[in-house]
Amino acid sequence: MIAIQVNSLSKAYGFYRIFEDLSFDVHPGECFALFGPNGAGKTTLLRILATLQAPSHGQFTIFGQDGVAQKDTVREIIMLIAHGSHLYDELSATENLQFALGLRGQAPSPPQIKRALDRTGIGAFADLKIRQFSAGMKKRLDFAKTILAQPQLLLLDEPYNALDHAGVAITNQLIQETLDRAGTVFMTTHDRDKATQIATRGGILKGGHLHLLSSEQLTTDAIF
Amino acid sequence: MPFFKTIRWVVWKDLISEWRTRETMSSMLFFALIVILVFSFSFSMDQDAARQLIAGIIWVAFTFTGIIGLGKSFTSELQNDCLESLQMSPAPKGAIYLGKTAANFLFMLSVEILLFPLFVLFFNLDVIEAVGTLLIIFFLATLGLSAVGTLFSALTVQIRAREVMLPVLLLPLAVPVMIAAVEATRGALSGDPFSFYSQWIQLLTIFDIIFTVVSFWLFEFILDS
Repeated sequence: MIAIQVNSLSKAYGFYRIFEDLSFDVHPGECFALFGPNGAGKTTLLRILATLQAPSHGQFTIFGQDGVAQKDTVREIIMLIAHGSHLYDELSATENLQFALGLRGQAPSPPQIKRALDRTGIGAFADLKIRQFSAGMKKRLDFAKTILAQPQLLLLDEPYNALDHAGVAITNQLIQETLDRAGTVFMTTHDRDKATQIATRGGILKGGHLHLLSSEQLTTDAIF
Repeated sequence: MPFFKTIRWVVWKDLISEWRTRETMSSMLFFALIVILVFSFSFSMDQDAARQLIAGIIWVAFTFTGIIGLGKSFTSELQNDCLESLQMSPAPKGAIYLGKTAANFLFMLSVEILLFPLFVLFFNLDVIEAVGTLLIIFFLATLGLSAVGTLFSALTVQIRAREVMLPVLLLPLAVPVMIAAVEATRGALSGDPFSFYSQWIQLLTIFDIIFTVVSFWLFEFILDS
């Protein structure tokens, strides 16, 4: 089954077309990196795949489920790490994980939560409120969420933002683990050097059109 | 997705956040205290007039205090784009709505229970025999206000002028609840037989059911839009 199947997808705000007629597939076990200049529509495309926005035209499926008509089913198998951390400032790291996973119908045990926090390097801050977290720590906590949730499709919007060198290494390691269990990762990024360490395929969204790149082309400077 | 567990998680999250910040309850209490003091001073020379109007005064204070709490209910979800995570959550949206409504109901009812003794004190009310009935009226009217208010709080949270829009949209719909609450409270405080004002309590119950069912059904569309 294809992980992401996008067919003639277009998005416009009024008369302003963000992108049109996008078609591409992403298969299980692939990490697809989407590049493009600011305002190209990368985040909009990601938000459509995350069922947060509806496309203007076209269809897309996530593991065979229609992204518009069956979005409730799609939401059970995806997870988005975006610019906003989706964390509550007044709750601790542990409580945020319990709440987020609770809404997914999961109940991780305290040792599982501890392990996920330790793996992302923030185990020592398990009981600290999020309002005391830095942007990088919040990003790591987001990744701890994915360790526990194990989504089939992981959507990442600029995953390397705010992360230090160790954070980037942890992120790529977690992406690799997602791929190893036949999960799929779709990321938007400006950081080609970091993304190409892990991405298996990619594309450049520019001028409303998507130019697909093979794994070899990802490292070819001329295309960028 | 477990429906009741989702309700429990949302209530737990809202209560624990409020317990740690006391942001919503403190602003509700402070506002309500000012309202009580203003009305108390206004009617200090005419206790009879105050007793005639006390039911209306109580519900003006409770309703506007409630609106403050309801306004904060979804603005707290804007921090770190948490609203987006609720939208994307596979949890039943109706369960999220009921969780938010339950939390709002608890905040509003707690404030009302804390404030009512002040009304008794400032307006010299004799309520001993009516306490049970008054609690039922407070419970039902607050449930109705929180049911419809939670929906409108979600509807207006992304609007720039949400502080204005929430009362503008909510109050016309809340009028039947307020009228029923005022009439029932007046009857209870006047010592009338229960049968004289029981139709208002029945009306409150009917509004609670209608508001909760309709809001429960509409919430998914509002959250997804």
